[in-house]
Amino acid sequence: MSAPSLGVRALDLLASEWTKFRSVRSTYWSLLVAVITPVAVSAVVAFAFASARNQGPPPDPLLPEVISLEYAVIAVCVLGVLAFTAEYSTGLIRVTFSAAPRRRAVLAAKAAVLAAATLAVGEVVAFATFGLVQAVLAGHHDSVSLGHPGVLGAVLSAGLLLCVCALLGLALGAIIRHTAGGIAATIAVILIPGILILLPSPWNGRIGRFTLLEAARQVSALHPAADLFSAGWSLLVLLAWPAAGLAAAAVVITRRDA
Amino acid sequence: MIEVAGLSKRFGPVTAVDDLSFTVRPGRVTGFLGPNGAGKTTTMRIILGLNAADTGTATVAGRRYDGLIRPLREVGSLLDATALHAGRTGWAHLLSIAQSNGIARQRVTEVLRLTGLESVARRRVGGFSLGMKQRLGIAAALLGDPPVLMFDEPVNGLDPEGIHWIRGFFRELAADGRTVLVSSHLMSEMAQTADHLVIIGRGRLIADVPTEELIESSARRDVLVRSPRAAELTELIAQQGGTVTPQDDGALVVTGLDAAAIGDLAAGHGIAVHALVPRQASLEDAYLDLTGESTDYRGGPQ
Repeated sequence: MSAPSLGVRALDLLASEWTKFRSVRSTYWSLLVAVITPVAVSAVVAFAFASARNQGPPPDPLLPEVISLEYAVIAVCVLGVLAFTAEYSTGLIRVTFSAAPRRRAVLAAKAAVLAAATLAVGEVVAFATFGLVQAVLAGHHDSVSLGHPGVLGAVLSAGLLLCVCALLGLALGAIIRHTAGGIAATIAVILIPGILILLPSPWNGRIGRFTLLEAARQVSALHPAADLFSAGWSLLVLLAWPAAGLAAAAVVITRRDA
Repeated sequence: MIEVAGLSKRFGPVTAVDDLSFTVRPGRVTGFLGPNGAGKTTTMRIILGLNAADTGTATVAGRRYDGLIRPLREVGSLLDATALHAGRTGWAHLLSIAQSNGIARQRVTEVLRLTGLESVARRRVGGFSLGMKQRLGIAAALLGDPPVLMFDEPVNGLDPEGIHWIRGFFRELAADGRTVLVSSHLMSEMAQTADHLVIIGRGRLIADVPTEELIESSARRDVLVRSPRAAELTELIAQQGGTVTPQDDGALVVTGLDAAAIGDLAAGHGIAVHALVPRQASLEDAYLDLTGESTDYRGGPQ
């Protein structure tokens, strides 16, 4: 028997991880919550924005959408963390690693499956909330359409948030190996840096622009804030968070006993 | 063939495996025996590349496990039957493992049939009994139709019918020319299953012997005799060809003559006998003798 090529082995692992992903209920519950919560929340957020319209300068018409998406962050973090911790807590990880001793390939396959699913769901949610929010704002003459310059790119970028958070959860789950600890750490890494926005100006912007949620708001905004990174740089910051997490996971995953 | 050479592994202050070397050959069932905590599971994990050895090597068919391209086609293993996602069906569990090594779906159906799990394959494994989980784990080990198989305590949780089935199953696998390593902490179990025994205690090799040989060496019989005239009786027994080993408490342990012969001999010379106890060392005793020094956790006297 000739050795299968690297590509064939990668497809094998993807098929295996896809089977695992779709064969447990927690996947569907997490994704259901990740869809329903932001969609439900978006109408409320949009009304709040519309009614606050006459106080101060006009808010970014895309801000209600990304704020709504943030309500799905916890659900996808849990989904990401569980990808590894469900296997570590049951001992199934030993079955996985004895079937695929190249552990980084397992990490990559899990990340690819999770990224594909959460990106698809994230985009669906982004466009759904965009539609709802604009429908509400239209009644107040503040809405924008997808054809408006920069809107399509901003909505697509907003859809990245769920994928980014899920991958960060996957990485921290692989590093921490315990479900509760992994979830707590992921949510802490995403939310706690938000406190930096309370620093005195200009430090709130100078440091705050490196946080995941500020970067997500920048890439999803029609009019990015001037004191933060540009949308392009913010996109890099947004992607750097899960990339750094996955790199750290790739280092520790081969060094520890399973 | 599995080859373990000079293997050592420490967990902090605990030495789990200590300069362990043995070879598991094809065509027979090799029992991997030792008290709980002896290092059996750690050794198996090292063979599977799950734990890194501090020193020494473990190879399967001459290669390190982590160098195998599609390892399930070379080595099938069952370490922990309860290592399952409770919400997944037996079918999905096996399918995910099969896919990772490019094994066809049809083979999943086959191993389910081989292990008698077809009827429950679509049920979530959370509802499986321990015995069913053991069968599912064995099914997973068979997926790649591998020439080398390792099972860690596979008998745990099986009912008598299941135990009977699994013994026959291991024999069949060995008769096919496969290498079969089965761990257990129960000598009685291994005596009925294994052709060869690798016995370890506290991570060290204690014995590497054919089961037959260990049974023969343990099948000694003797007779415990107490008599107020022990010295005279000792002489008479010696004249009849028996061997006497005097004990500290004055009792005599006799080999070479059975209890009836000793009783007749004593009666013929008018010597009173206060105790005449035929004794037989079991295989279990032989095992306890071997591992007695190396048990980590020992019950105290009542």
